[in-house]
Amino acid sequence: MGIDRRTFLSHTAKAAVAAAALGVIDMRVWAQTVQDAPVVKKPSLCNMCTSECGMHIHVKNGRPWKVTGHPDHPVSRGKLCPRAHAGLHWIYDPARVKTPLKRVGEWQFEPISWEQATDQISDQLKRIIAEHGTESVFGAQYPRTTGSLYLNRLMHALGVSTTQSHEATCQAGRRIAMSHTFGAAFDADWENSDYLLFIGRNMGEAVRTASATAFAKAIERGAKVVCVDPRLSQSAAITEWVPIKPGTDLALLLALCNVLVTENLFDRQFISNHTNGFVPFRRHVVQYSPHWAEEITGVPAEKIRQIAHEMAAAAPHCAVDTGWKAAVGSCYANSTDTGRAVAYVNGLLGNIGQRGGISVPPGVVFATPQFPAPSAPTAPRNDGVGTEYPLASAESGLPHLTMQRAKEGKVKAGFIRHFNPVRSFPDYDHMRAGMRALDLLVVFETHMSETAIEAHYILPEPSFAEREEVVKAVGDTVAMRTKAIDSVHPQTKSFDEIITMLAYKLGVGEYFSFTLDQWNEALLADQPFSLADLKRAGTLAAEVSDEPVLPAGCGSLIPPEQQAPKERPRAFLVSGGDRNPVPQLFTPSGRFEFYSQRFANAGFEPIAKWYPPKTGLDLGSAEFRVVHGKQAYHSHVATNNIPILAQITKDYDTNRLWMNRSRAEQLGISDNDTIRMRARNGRTAEARVMVTERVHPDMLFSPAGYGNRTPYYKTSKELGGFNPHDLAEYQHETISGHTMMSELIVEVERA
Amino acid sequence: MTKIDRRAFIKYSAAAGAATAFAASGISAGAQEISRTQQGQRMALLMDNSLCVNCQSCRVACQNENSLPVSEKYIRFDYVDSGTWPDVTHHVNRHSCQHCADAPCVDICPVEALFKGPQGFTHLDFEACIGCGGCLMVCPFEVPVISEEPASGKPKMYKCTACRHLISQGKKPACATTCITNAVDYGPWDEMLSKAEKRVEALRKQYPQASVYGKTQQDGLGLLLILRTPAQEYPHLI
Repeated sequence: MGIDRRTFLSHTAKAAVAAAALGVIDMRVWAQTVQDAPVVKKPSLCNMCTSECGMHIHVKNGRPWKVTGHPDHPVSRGKLCPRAHAGLHWIYDPARVKTPLKRVGEWQFEPISWEQATDQISDQLKRIIAEHGTESVFGAQYPRTTGSLYLNRLMHALGVSTTQSHEATCQAGRRIAMSHTFGAAFDADWENSDYLLFIGRNMGEAVRTASATAFAKAIERGAKVVCVDPRLSQSAAITEWVPIKPGTDLALLLALCNVLVTENLFDRQFISNHTNGFVPFRRHVVQYSPHWAEEITGVPAEKIRQIAHEMAAAAPHCAVDTGWKAAVGSCYANSTDTGRAVAYVNGLLGNIGQRGGISVPPGVVFATPQFPAPSAPTAPRNDGVGTEYPLASAESGLPHLTMQRAKEGKVKAGFIRHFNPVRSFPDYDHMRAGMRALDLLVVFETHMSETAIEAHYILPEPSFAEREEVVKAVGDTVAMRTKAIDSVHPQTKSFDEIITMLAYKLGVGEYFSFTLDQWNEALLADQPFSLADLKRAGTLAAEVSDEPVLPAGCGSLIPPEQQAPKERPRAFLVSGGDRNPVPQLFTPSGRFEFYSQRFANAGFEPIAKWYPPKTGLDLGSAEFRVVHGKQAYHSHVATNNIPILAQITKDYDTNRLWMNRSRAEQLGISDNDTIRMRARNGRTAEARVMVTERVHPDMLFSPAGYGNRTPYYKTSKELGGFNPHDLAEYQHETISGHTMMSELIVEVERA
Repeated sequence: MTKIDRRAFIKYSAAAGAATAFAASGISAGAQEISRTQQGQRMALLMDNSLCVNCQSCRVACQNENSLPVSEKYIRFDYVDSGTWPDVTHHVNRHSCQHCADAPCVDICPVEALFKGPQGFTHLDFEACIGCGGCLMVCPFEVPVISEEPASGKPKMYKCTACRHLISQGKKPACATTCITNAVDYGPWDEMLSKAEKRVEALRKQYPQASVYGKTQQDGLGLLLILRTPAQEYPHLI
């Protein structure tokens, strides 16, 4: 029988060891033994991006060998993206933080014991709170179940109000927009749709696994799928592509509203029974004709009219996808209102809660654990949420504003978990200076990220394969991460242990009088299975209520006391029928709101109107707008240090900036040339370009996730690459406070 | 386990019994496998390039599944751009072993390291391979790569083996299991071909030159491709 590579490898690499250890002389027998060792499949959740796909880690001979998608998990459905496969390489990464570390100099650390580290941290924090108050402290994280429970609970126990996440660089605008129109940032029912319009969203490269699967299924089924994008992305390449001038999506969407309204293509029944403010809205959009939009966007008026007519014909089984980051999240000054305009089109099509429209499925609501809980803190926040930003998300906060307050000496201490705002927010210098101005920065991490290396203390966690976490409601299931392998570095501690230890030292241990298992059991009290069942299965079908459950960062931003009292279900399972009941929405009226009184009260336009990006639409002869976006094999400046993913970048040379061919020719720039960029703020950088027809002439497309600055990431350093956050400056949009990541104009010359 | 998988599994199990008998009789590994081809069901990988988003998940899953060194990959991609802004198209095509029914690499391999399996795929006895590059000379699709094997320091040939260890148990190759857009499928050759032909018919409304590649080339390919544009536009297709 032929020897496969897997067997061959075990055979050659381990033959000597094997012969000594087992007394096996016949190498083929040994190879077969290794090959035949039992494989244990441990359920887990991927940790490489926000989506946390359910998966199995296949453990053989005590080592993770491969991962496969969990077939029952709603976000993976048996599939996994490349990052999930590569995540295995994180576990044994030599650059992992192995013991608690204390800062001893610029990016220099020495090991410290847990006892000493937590003693010193709690002493310093007590002093800071005594001298500067709880408003001088913040907690920030990539928001997932365990962190959201433990870090936020600790902050609240201490009286700290400022808890934050990455959202200001993600979907901050979208969440406010969707909350104030149809109650929360619901997704489209891609799989069952007859017509899908994507505004800048790139389902194939900014991957949530099962969403990409559903996207492809719609295409395969013959649904019409249109991608509006200034770039021919991989998603646009397998659908109908509508190129657009970057930053002008709002004009296109308002013109779609115009056609639907003025040509009487909207859903009258939905409008009269389920919406508020249609009359002023109708008057308002009359000004936005397709011809007007063509001038701004470059999309032919006829194409705009065609899309509106086709969608109306498919209604209500069609949707404008609600996006994520891109045009509606945190890119432009007009992103939040672009999000509202996305919602308006859906409202006119009457697709809320309908098959193939905006999906409002019922989800799992956990029981409330009855352990002593801290009351909500009343201290002022240090990031302007609730004051300068009355509509912004208090869950997500505005870390870049907190860094400004830190530079001003008003913020003194921060606790950051699994989150790298120094590198992932625009303006590296600003974010770093803010961190360095703190008297105490504690970072909970597995790796020496750009944020970790600015910390006074780095407290190491085990990798995702070595720890258990708080259970998670995902659609109509509950999922959890279980311990697949023993601790690789015995000095690491799981987050629940670390926070509980700190809480007792800080005198608030009473709020942590439970173990992780006890907490999980309490959450699952109403479910038809036990925690032990869930640990075995990883993902289990659960009891659903008539309330939707949304991914972290997608819930309603309308305070519960301002939402209409619940009179009917807020979610429905979509049936195959032509019309489903319309759920009650989480808005003040419980209806779809074309006109937002909350926006008006906060001093904003109650109905979104057109305005251009902050940096305008007129560019100089050598100027470009820098827009970044994902490649499917990297995320969040966290993965380009993984050799197996970095190799993809190397093989296809994909960390170059995309430049339009005709613009390149005008500037005397050839493919692969290095260019020098000077931002309008005077900052400069160099990068190599890929000259292509696939990108809008106004735009330099920057593949995201490159340009790590931490000296601890060797592969990343060797790979190199440009990160636009080095040129971007600290700025904040008016409504949600997001970071306006694509409000960056550079002048270009050949270097 | 699906019906198809199960069927393949049962057939293989029957074949395995025969293989044991061959092993006892001292017939070479390659000869055993060829004899199985006659008993096994012909299978195919189907790559629908019109659904591929170039995410590279197949590549990385394959690297893990086959314990490949970081720099080696069995699955690569070709890209074809045409037109000028804003009338531009972009097409991808999987470039990996096409698993020819009439496989010149198998014929030329001096050490019988390359051999046909019962499902019709071209497998590699990695230990037997001497990295001579003969296969590279005759491959119509420029697939084989010769590299030094890090653990042994010996030159070896790298190419897709259709996850022989999985398909022999009736399972799917890793690329088909993980593909996030279901662009990769695996099943009986006839079923894959008819699925592909049906899909191409639908694609022709938008892409009049769409085609299935692999029905006749090299007497039929174990990796069938769905193309939106003519094969000759792709650098590695003939």
